[in-house]
Amino acid sequence: MPAALHGDVDQTDPDAKTRSRALNQFLASVELKAFKIAQAALRHEDDALDAVQDAMLQLARAYADRPHEEWKPLFYRILENRIRDMQRRRTVRGRVIAWLPFRGEDEDEEPDPIAQAPSPEPQPVKRLELDEAMEALERALGELPRRQQQAFMLRTLEGLDVAETATAMGCSEGSVKTHYFRAVQTLRAQLGDLYV
Amino acid sequence: MSPADETITQFERNARVVLEASVSRIDARTRSRLNQARHAALEAASARRPAWWRSLALMPAAGAAAAAVLVATLLWHGQPGERGATEAQRSAVEEDMDLLADGEALDLVEGGDGSFYEWAVAETDNGESEG
Repeated sequence: MPAALHGDVDQTDPDAKTRSRALNQFLASVELKAFKIAQAALRHEDDALDAVQDAMLQLARAYADRPHEEWKPLFYRILENRIRDMQRRRTVRGRVIAWLPFRGEDEDEEPDPIAQAPSPEPQPVKRLELDEAMEALERALGELPRRQQQAFMLRTLEGLDVAETATAMGCSEGSVKTHYFRAVQTLRAQLGDLYV
Repeated sequence: MSPADETITQFERNARVVLEASVSRIDARTRSRLNQARHAALEAASARRPAWWRSLALMPAAGAAAAAVLVATLLWHGQPGERGATEAQRSAVEEDMDLLADGEALDLVEGGDGSFYEWAVAETDNGESEG
C-alpha cells in the first residue's frame, strides 16, 4: 500500500492500526508518570497537564512511525523541552507581573469535588507514612537543581537506563551519571534512607 | 558492592515506592484529562492522510483546470474572423441533409423522370397562352 511507503497512518492499513494501538498502549503506560515528572518540575497541575498533552501530540504527529523502542526517550525529550519552555515563559511572566502596580492574589478556581475524590488507598497507617514520605520527597525534589531532578525522576520513577536518560535529557551518559549521583546524595542527606 | 552503595540502592528502592504511590494517587479528574489528551494525540496521528489520498483530493482541481482549457479552446476557435465561413459551411450541410432526406427531390435531381419536366413545361406554356 502506498500509505505505508509514505510513512503515513492509514486506518485501512493493518500495519497502521497495529501502530495506532501500540501508540495508545505506550502513551497510556507513560502518561501518569509523565504527569508526575512534569508536576515536580513545574509545580502546577494545569501546566503539567498541558506539557504532557503537548508531548503526546508531538510524539503522535512527528514520531509515530519511529521504532517503538525509541518512543520513550523521544517522548521524555519532548516533554523536557516543553517543561523548559514553560519555565522560561513563567520566568518572563514573573518579571513582567512584578512590575505591574495592581497585581493581586491568584484567583484559583473552586476545588473540583471530583478532583478531590481519593483514588484507591492503602491502609490508614501505611497511608500516613506514605503521605509523610511523599510530602518530604516531593519537597526535597522541588529544591533540587533542574537537571538533577530530571535525572532522578527519569531514572527512579520512569526506570530509564543511563543511555535512554541521556537521550531524553539531551546530554552525555557521563552527565546523567553525575546529575543522578548528586541528586541521590542531596536527597539522602535531607531525607535519610526514606524508610516506608 | 560497598555498604554505601547498598544504602543508595535501598534509598532508591524506597524513593521509587514513594513515587509510584504518588502516581497511584493521581485523582480521577487528572486521569480523565490525560486520557482525553491521549485520544486527541491518537486522532491527530490518524488524521495524517496518505499521499495517494492527497492526490485523490486534488482530482476536482485537475478536472476544473481541464474544463477551463476546453472552454478556452472552443472560444479561441470561435473567433469573429472565421464566423462567416463557418455559417456558410453549416448552410451547405443543412441543404445536403434536406436533399438526402427527401427521396422525391433526389429523383428529380438525378433526372430519372424526364417526362415530368416536359409536362411541367407544357403546363406552364398553356397557362401563359390561356392567360
